[in-house]
Amino acid sequence: MSLDFKQVVSDFKNGLWAENPIIRLVIGMCPTLAVTNTTENGLAMGLATSFVLIMSEIVISLIKKLIPANVRIPSYILIIATFVTFVDYFLKAFFPGIAASLSIFIPLIVVNCLILGRQEAFASKHSTPRAIADGIGMGIGFTWVLVLLGAIREFFGMGSIFGFTLLGDWYRPMVIMVLPAGAFITLGILVGVMNYISREGK
Amino acid sequence: MEKNSTKNLILTLATIGIISALLLTFVYEWTTPYIQAKQAQAQKQAINEVLPGVEEVEEVEKNGNIFYEGYDADGSQIGVAFQNSGGGYNGAIEIMIGVDLKNDKIYKISVLNHQETPGLGARITENEFKSNFEDKAFGDYSVVKTPPSEEMQVQAIAGATISSENTTRIIEDGLEKINSAYGGGN
Amino acid sequence: MEEFTQILLLFISTVLINNFILVRFLGICPFLGVSKQVETAFSMGLATTFVMTLTAAATWLINTFILEAFNLPFLQYVSFIIVIASLVQFVEMFIKKTSPVLYKALGIFLPLITTNCAIMGLALLIPLNGYSFIASVVFGFGAGVGFTLAIVLMAGLREKLEFGDVPEVLKGVPVTLIIAGIMAMAFMGFSGLISM
Repeated sequence: MSLDFKQVVSDFKNGLWAENPIIRLVIGMCPTLAVTNTTENGLAMGLATSFVLIMSEIVISLIKKLIPANVRIPSYILIIATFVTFVDYFLKAFFPGIAASLSIFIPLIVVNCLILGRQEAFASKHSTPRAIADGIGMGIGFTWVLVLLGAIREFFGMGSIFGFTLLGDWYRPMVIMVLPAGAFITLGILVGVMNYISREGK
Repeated sequence: MEKNSTKNLILTLATIGIISALLLTFVYEWTTPYIQAKQAQAQKQAINEVLPGVEEVEEVEKNGNIFYEGYDADGSQIGVAFQNSGGGYNGAIEIMIGVDLKNDKIYKISVLNHQETPGLGARITENEFKSNFEDKAFGDYSVVKTPPSEEMQVQAIAGATISSENTTRIIEDGLEKINSAYGGGN
Repeated sequence: MEEFTQILLLFISTVLINNFILVRFLGICPFLGVSKQVETAFSMGLATTFVMTLTAAATWLINTFILEAFNLPFLQYVSFIIVIASLVQFVEMFIKKTSPVLYKALGIFLPLITTNCAIMGLALLIPLNGYSFIASVVFGFGAGVGFTLAIVLMAGLREKLEFGDVPEVLKGVPVTLIIAGIMAMAFMGFSGLISM
């Protein structure tokens, strides 16, 4: 099987910006809003989701020919749910603090439309190397937006980033930023800004 | 199409299901010891925090609940610790309560687990809120927004009244369970 | 009677105070995707509420009589998602038979209910909060009602916005999110309405 290196690199870069899951494709929104109250949570969620995404894309691109078309969605979901359970128990055992912060949003990775969407749109139709590239690209694309959003919300909402207090006691935190309302508004503005950047770039 | 026949359908899902169940059983068996060890450690730390000067802990079961009797280096009983849980704003809150049975008061509390909002409800883990319950007599507490003027008052966290209320209720409920088990109580 | 009051309070709190979309962040994808017209939004809300109520009941039963009875907590996510996928399939067939018009109107959104994180979230919150069977069903129903309320409100606002003057970069997703933020702030006013 010939490995088209250029194609693989292009698949990878796709997820970072052009088809960024959160900003362009607008999928995977629930965790984006819920766990970006701190930078650390955003990073952890991004990594956990990326792991499940990449592993699922690998498995499904390998066995795609074995799955009958009319059970493909349930099959994909089962495989995704298995990897999510693995991540959940792994975090509980070795990173209990993060497991507690992310709480139900870890199992919710199962229904993250990003993961299922990529299986259907990509992994089931392309070779495994390309699927891996897509998984990594999309994963990083998802993660950087989460980290950015988390950093903004934590900075304005608590005066810190990654738990390191950057603004002194003089700063009156904009508590709304760590609340749902702030999440919605910040993401809305962020997407608006990204739209502007990509338009100006044309 | 043969491939889409019902038999293949069921076979595919069943195979994936079985492999998944097997893999997960393995993951569960592997991680459970670590998870339990971490929980035991967290609990031990909490007991040490809420029973000052405790050297030895004895687990006792009464009324279907588990109580941790703490003894100091001389073997005399310091008090009893009890882990109670209840509903918080976003999920369950688990609190370890350390009480001095001889004087009918709370030594200290420690929050083991919670899902409250960071920066708001999550501040129940900070000393500022926990000090509300330090050296506190048993009773019915009322949550107020200003610095407490009476012993039975608890000052809420600014902007997190519900978390503060819920935590207080869980502590009161815990005290009830301790009192009904140890025969004291008002 | 006291039990009844508790259940009623649970319902109100799930619809308003802990609204699944605006407070718990569950169900955002359909919230952004299906809230362009009030009618579609309402139909989606109804279908989702139906699935949610059934899911609450089904997952409570599975959790109590299988997962807990046989000590299989690690099969929770896998079994819940199978239940949800099956229920959605069943609801799809049911709607197709009873109202082909509605079926056509909902189109692809019907199977997408499976990936609605609000449903899975609901299933997971029930054992976490230790609800009884009745409380679970009420919780599921309330979640659906709250969900429907939020997306219908959003659809109403977006319909009006069609005639407004939205800056190009904000059109579509950004403005919807900003409106959602304002709605979330409004709903914050409900917290403290009931102290449970």
